[in-house]
Amino acid sequence: MTKITETIIRRKKISDEVVISLSNISKKYTITHEKPTLAEDVSRMLHFQKKEEFWALKDLNLTIHKGEKVGFYGPNGAGKTTLLKIIAGICEPTSGTVQTKGKIVSLISLDAGFHPDLTGQENIFLNGLIVGMSKTEIEQKLKQIIDFADIGDFITAPLYTYSSGMRLRLGFSIAVHAEPDILLLDEVISMGDENFRKKTNRLMKDMFANGATLLLVSHQLQYLNENCNKLIMLKNE
Amino acid sequence: MLLFECFKRKLAIKLFMKLSKKQRHWLDFLSAMTQKEIKARYKRASFGFLWVVLNPLLQMLVMGFVFQFFVPVKVDNYFLYLFAGLLPWNFFAQSLTKTTPAFFYEGSLIKKAKFPRESIVLSIIFSNLFHFAVALLLLIVALIGDKLLLEGYGLMQLMFYVLRMLWVVPAILLLVFFTVGFSLFTSSLNVRFRDINFMVGLAVMLWFYATPVVYALNLLPEFLQPLFYLNPMTAIIEMFHYALMGLPITLPNFIWVAVVIIICVFYLGLRVFQKESKNFDDWL
Repeated sequence: MTKITETIIRRKKISDEVVISLSNISKKYTITHEKPTLAEDVSRMLHFQKKEEFWALKDLNLTIHKGEKVGFYGPNGAGKTTLLKIIAGICEPTSGTVQTKGKIVSLISLDAGFHPDLTGQENIFLNGLIVGMSKTEIEQKLKQIIDFADIGDFITAPLYTYSSGMRLRLGFSIAVHAEPDILLLDEVISMGDENFRKKTNRLMKDMFANGATLLLVSHQLQYLNENCNKLIMLKNE
Repeated sequence: MLLFECFKRKLAIKLFMKLSKKQRHWLDFLSAMTQKEIKARYKRASFGFLWVVLNPLLQMLVMGFVFQFFVPVKVDNYFLYLFAGLLPWNFFAQSLTKTTPAFFYEGSLIKKAKFPRESIVLSIIFSNLFHFAVALLLLIVALIGDKLLLEGYGLMQLMFYVLRMLWVVPAILLLVFFTVGFSLFTSSLNVRFRDINFMVGLAVMLWFYATPVVYALNLLPEFLQPLFYLNPMTAIIEMFHYALMGLPITLPNFIWVAVVIIICVFYLGLRVFQKESKNFDDWL
């Protein structure tokens, strides 16, 4: 079970607008020691055994305002990723309500939606739709996305010919051009060369100047201290 | 003709604009996923798109050869009869075997991004539908050519023949509804119970022989015939045989049994999917 403590690192002028509000969130996982099978389920029903349960989160409340940069810190298994997944809508909490406002893009998934046999351009459309852009939006931003990713002529080549750096750059470029209101980052993204990092930092700064909210999960406390104005510690009790 | 195309496009755009933003995104997403399925399938095969036709054609030749010698099926044009039944059957069997493990295969994507989960299953089915439609169209062209050139049909005769072919439309609708419902059911359950995948593989194999593709229903004893309509594929395949070959449906009233079963399966599949899809992330 997880307990959270909130620490405000730096007071920043923040709007009153609430963009994420979680109330009484609990998430239960059923433990199976191997992959569940029908036979196991039936035998359990016949013997009236209760399933083994594990609460990753219990009665969690959290409010995040527009423009905040929130860092999540805690040991492995404290429920950080589960929390981010619930906010992103990837999984549903067992109980409690989640309310979010605006477009959420999670950078947990930079290249998850890519297909190796399709070209870079075809993949931009596919992944762009996955992160919530509309088709016309992608068409408008296509050039920007390609330029930012900096993959040159490879854009018409199938994705399996790309280097891993190119893949990540393309994924990142698509995600940031979706203009998210809320950005979820799992672990600090440190990819690409110096040049790409500079471009990324500039783009991120622009995004926050426009009032984007950032949720960041990391194991590096120092990094969070430097970059966030609110720190949320998750602890196993 | 061009004017008509233009008008159709405008109408489609108008209808498209009427949908809400969310519905539009859903349609965009589904069409992109379907295109991906179609493009990716034959991308690295040298025969490429030709496999769409080659596959059922070779299957027809092999099966026709085997069954004509071992089973005394008395159907005119047995090879064409096989082809007309194999096309919808292949659509169903291939869709089902490919969609059942689909959520499991796409686990890494499901765990990382929020998107309409059903599009994974639907895109596979629609890409198969596209291939099915292409093969069916070729068959229809071949059939009409045969009637016109070899059997010397008159214009009126040909018109009636083509009109009867319109029966493929409701047949395809039933087929798609049934496939979507059944696939959603098996693929959703397969996330938690991986046994389903093995069961489906076996079931499809047996199911083939419970469906009048290689034989005709009227070869069976009469008391058995109604039982076969509990299998919706029987009704669907018979509808295709009627539309394409002009063969009478053995028990026309029993089509409604199949229709009711198809609606039930579709509803059940949808409900199971809605319930299970919330927790896909927990089990992958």
